[in-house]
Amino acid sequence: MSEKTFLALFSDVNPAAEAIAQLREMGMKDEQMQVISGIPFTAPILGRPHPRTNVPRMAMGGALVGFLLAMFFTIGTPNLYPVYVGGQPLIPVPPSVIATFELTMLGMLLATFLGVFLDSRFPSYRPMEYVPAISDGKIGVLFRCTEEESSRWMDALQKLGAESVSPVEAVQL
Amino acid sequence: MAVAAKPLPHAHTHATEGPDHRESLMFDPRPRGLMNAWAMEAMHETSWKFWAVAAFLALIVLVFLVGAWAWMIMEGLGLAGVNRPAFWGVFLVNTVFWIGISHAGTFISAILRVLKVEFRRPFTRAAELMTAFGLIQAGFSILMHMGRVWLSYWLLPYPNQRQLWPNFHSPLTWDFLAITTYLLSSLMYLYLPLIPDLAMARDRSSGWRKRLYRILALGFRGTEEEWEHLRKAMTIFAFAIIPVMFSVHTIVSWDFAMATRPGWSSTIFGPYFVIGALHSGMAAVVVVLFFVRRMKHMTYFVRPEHFDALGKLMLVISMAWAYFFFNDYIVQWYGGDKWTRMLLEYHENGPLGWMWMLMLICNVAVPWLLLWNRRVRRTPWLMAIIGILINVGMWLERYVIVPISLTINRMPFTWRQYVPGIEIPLGIGTLALFILLYMLASRLIPLVPIWEVQEGQMVHSLERVGKTYVPVVKELE
Amino acid sequence: MEKTLTIPEYKADWAEGENGKWGMVIDMDLCTGCQACVAACAMENNISFVGEEDAGYGRTMHWIRIERFWEGTYPEIRMTPYQPILCQQCGHAPCEPVCPVFASVHSQAEQINLQVYNRCVGTRYCANNCPYQVRVFNWRDWPRPAPLENQLNPSVTVRRRGIMEKCTFCIQRIRQAEDVAKSEGREIRDGEVVPACAQACPADAIVFGRLDDPESRVSQLANSPRGKKLLEELGTLPQVTYLLGG
Repeated sequence: MSEKTFLALFSDVNPAAEAIAQLREMGMKDEQMQVISGIPFTAPILGRPHPRTNVPRMAMGGALVGFLLAMFFTIGTPNLYPVYVGGQPLIPVPPSVIATFELTMLGMLLATFLGVFLDSRFPSYRPMEYVPAISDGKIGVLFRCTEEESSRWMDALQKLGAESVSPVEAVQL
Repeated sequence: MAVAAKPLPHAHTHATEGPDHRESLMFDPRPRGLMNAWAMEAMHETSWKFWAVAAFLALIVLVFLVGAWAWMIMEGLGLAGVNRPAFWGVFLVNTVFWIGISHAGTFISAILRVLKVEFRRPFTRAAELMTAFGLIQAGFSILMHMGRVWLSYWLLPYPNQRQLWPNFHSPLTWDFLAITTYLLSSLMYLYLPLIPDLAMARDRSSGWRKRLYRILALGFRGTEEEWEHLRKAMTIFAFAIIPVMFSVHTIVSWDFAMATRPGWSSTIFGPYFVIGALHSGMAAVVVVLFFVRRMKHMTYFVRPEHFDALGKLMLVISMAWAYFFFNDYIVQWYGGDKWTRMLLEYHENGPLGWMWMLMLICNVAVPWLLLWNRRVRRTPWLMAIIGILINVGMWLERYVIVPISLTINRMPFTWRQYVPGIEIPLGIGTLALFILLYMLASRLIPLVPIWEVQEGQMVHSLERVGKTYVPVVKELE
Repeated sequence: MEKTLTIPEYKADWAEGENGKWGMVIDMDLCTGCQACVAACAMENNISFVGEEDAGYGRTMHWIRIERFWEGTYPEIRMTPYQPILCQQCGHAPCEPVCPVFASVHSQAEQINLQVYNRCVGTRYCANNCPYQVRVFNWRDWPRPAPLENQLNPSVTVRRRGIMEKCTFCIQRIRQAEDVAKSEGREIRDGEVVPACAQACPADAIVFGRLDDPESRVSQLANSPRGKKLLEELGTLPQVTYLLGG
């Protein structure tokens, strides 16, 4: 009962989305499938569950860190070593707004960037199931199933307009 | 209906039914594989001329930038033309100029992305690269300007043995924070949409390129999750980097506006500088696109329609620049302050009055007289010349604002004209480094975001309305 | 004992004007324009000699300079009084807040603008923002001609290239007088601190002392109706008063 991974390739998004719907009706679970594509398709187009992303949460967290850092710099550090300049107060409010804005944005954007890495598990140089045709614009439906079941799915996908359905091995990208 | 990069169904019959939409990239779709192959070939295609130019630029960088800078660090700023009262000179002119150039990338790829302006698609990356490389030159220019550059890390807020933190009252500290934020975020914003194209390059290269792209593409396959995270991040970036961009040039203008100097102390400097930055940046994009177009297969991606669209933007921005310039000018003129009056007189009729005049000709007269014309806008070489002229004008604008305005102050005993010295070779060095970096980048990363072009071609279609076909853009997000 | 270890670690913590509020009066009617103050200042404060070429290009390093102007057109010209210009030690100094590394700071104790040479990274913003244009920059490491390296004042830092500097009201002399007075357990006497320029002035046009002492000579002169402040309209609160039109 060993499971194998199969890849069905489509040139168009509409047959791919139809095929995904059909597979689901035939009893394949969403977790068994994965779509890979050369351009982004939203979950509603593919009729797939919406992928969960932590990027916005990471961004908010980063913004908070940046904000707190800015508070430390603008309010904290003048008190660590008070230096008076130009008859201005030790903690000047309007200039602090500027530093706070920049550091908040920097924290937010750094965290967003980091969020993509964490969420997508980048960088990963392990072998993975992939064919270069994907970056040529093909839409691939990866699914895992046992070998006994495979012929049934493969036949179904052929009928649904897949250009090719074949088992794929994890390759070094 | 099929949503794919296929020739449009009525493409053969359109001639009798309406305008030829195929002159537009979005209505002239090609298979993704072909576009990929073109992008790859454009990177691989190098002639001996390319390397000769690159070697020449590298020599200039070595002598004019590395050599001259090292000499200046050894000898001191006496080698430059700065004096009293012009304590700031061409180094800061170049800093402001390069930061200005860097604004176009963000404008095109963030503002136009947020506004869903479709013509941006093929050249967002070319503009973003300009942002990154322009900011690097700005960083170099401001470091050259410093008297003790080897201590420039003292501007960083870090715990140190001196127990001293930076002065957050100082516009230069704001500047340091803003430029750092902008440089880092524009590098990240350059990289994120690049990942799918790096994966594309990884799939179709071998040897050292394969190894390089494998590392840079991070193992991207294009799964739903990867796209979702990437798209979310790009949306956050596109919205967040816009205020950062505005803040950067506003803070650069505050370096001047915060000072108690005639001519500088102006409340309108912020938006005036931002518009000025867009003016030079947009013009620089046009110049860059002219050269990108000369790369192999690039005439497919970069078309007269793009020069046309950019030309319209340039015209509008030129008008906005003139509006802000006049706004600043008339308030200073009307105020009647003795020193300001002398300064304006010096701007216009001083020994360098020709700069002030030429600035107005390049920034206002040239775009206004030429860019209303569709034929001009669709002629790439003409647009490149206009772009260069606007950049000359914007450089002169900064020259008028920095050393020329510094010449006039409230102590007439110190008035003395500024004559640039080693700033000139160093400035040429930064320009050479900018071009060199761009040339090298054009051979290493796909200059056109192929996946964005394909996505764009997918959402565009023609729909019959009455007797003709009109372009329709579908919103897939 | 513990107190000295923890507090006034920083001079900035000191109460405002604790060590006096120092000021200067310059009588322009007495000034003969002899430049003795300029020379004395250069000797006292180890100022570099920039040479003819750099001086001609506006890179003179004088902390005090004598400005002179003509009025009218030739041949109907009239000279205006000599105008010795030095750092006005502003109460609200435009040069201070713009420095990113706190090299230009305010001494709360003496009410003077300090320039911390070792902190300066050479952005030159302070000099741009100084309405009096009294800050000078070390554009190079100028050589010191042969015997002059032996006359360097040991109380004053020697500056290298890339550093901004300016008049300090001869802070080294103020500090020395403070120390002497403290060891003798008394206040500083009026006239005890004399900066180099005032010391060298043959016409006695420069008077220095504490402005917070109403009895001091400088206070009384500063309150004279002849007194004027340079560019007073900018609100920089200068500590130098010019006397003119006696």
